[in-house]
Amino acid sequence: MPVSVPDILVALVLGFLFGWVLDKGGLNRYYKIANVFRFTDLTVLRFMMTGMLVGMIGIYSLKALGLVDLTAVSATVLAGNLIGGAVFGIGMSLSGFCPGTCVAGAARGQLDYLIPGLLGFLSGGLIFGLIYRTDLIQWLLTAGRPELAYAKLPELLGVDPLLLVFVFSEAILIFLYVVGKTRARRRDVLETAVEQERVEAGLVDAPARPAESAGD
Amino acid sequence: MMWLLRQLRKDLWSPEVAGVGLGLVYVLALWLSHRAPGVSGTFFNTAAILGKPLTVGDPANQFFVTTFPPLTEGLGWQFYMVIGIFFGALASVLIAGKFKWTWIPIEQWRDVFGGAIWKRWVIAFVGGIILQIGAGIAGGCTSGLALAGGVQLSPAAFLFIPGIFISGAIVQLLVYRNKY
Repeated sequence: MPVSVPDILVALVLGFLFGWVLDKGGLNRYYKIANVFRFTDLTVLRFMMTGMLVGMIGIYSLKALGLVDLTAVSATVLAGNLIGGAVFGIGMSLSGFCPGTCVAGAARGQLDYLIPGLLGFLSGGLIFGLIYRTDLIQWLLTAGRPELAYAKLPELLGVDPLLLVFVFSEAILIFLYVVGKTRARRRDVLETAVEQERVEAGLVDAPARPAESAGD
Repeated sequence: MMWLLRQLRKDLWSPEVAGVGLGLVYVLALWLSHRAPGVSGTFFNTAAILGKPLTVGDPANQFFVTTFPPLTEGLGWQFYMVIGIFFGALASVLIAGKFKWTWIPIEQWRDVFGGAIWKRWVIAFVGGIILQIGAGIAGGCTSGLALAGGVQLSPAAFLFIPGIFISGAIVQLLVYRNKY
């Protein structure tokens, strides 16, 4: 499908902004992604949840004004979405990147993202295309209820879309508030203790922030 | 003005501030181009350059013909967005003065798994394969399914995200045990 010039400009500019915030959010660093799966650094969740909050409010407001139609969404397939997610999670947790963050990570000069990372995605893409017709893949791609395919939660639950956006937004705000609170408390009370334990266990060579005591 | 420059030069922003930018990308993409950003599809289109000739003997397999035709047959919206991601991240890194060629992640990886390059490169390669197959099964990746679906309240995203976290957490329990 050919893309119009204005659409190309939109794609380039929005991609640029996307790459910018992926880097500024720290999403293209191995430890940020590895640690969200260990629940020791929730940066990835805070970034994604804020994005969803802004995104769903903006998109459903525009929809209420009749400015967007929600047609660009992936199909809902119960087994495929869940099991595909589980397979995806194994790779994401091991490598510490996902497709978008691998591209943004390559831009930092990280050769492990640029060479084996991207080659892995292309090899995986080739393998998937070659096994596409196997019974297993076809079952995963179609199992479930076809009438669900392009449904959205407001229709499925029979509630007003804006009410559901409000409920989700509240849940995300509560999550961000609780995480913020917990972090503040941890910094005050726990961080020095944890750091001390790590030094004693021989996991880190020296205090992580020697400058603090030296500078004061 | 000085304040703005200082912000642009920062290595990291608060995830909430960066997240607002992320949300705006999705709103503007749906509004201006009627599309939701996704990255894994472009990897399929690239793999199709090799994949289409390889599957030509199996007419039933239209994956590299109609679903994800080769990049060489035309560049789509998502391709330009992926290019934008690379240059946006590059600009951010260069302005912050953080560009540096590295073979393995300096933070955390080296402390936990050692400095061997081959070990990290094998994991990055195998991880990439697993990720792309997972994206194929699920119908998208973190950008094209979790976020794109999430902001549109598609049930698919709310199945995909728990799937990622369940297996991701189990993997890290096994990999790290009580290290670090």
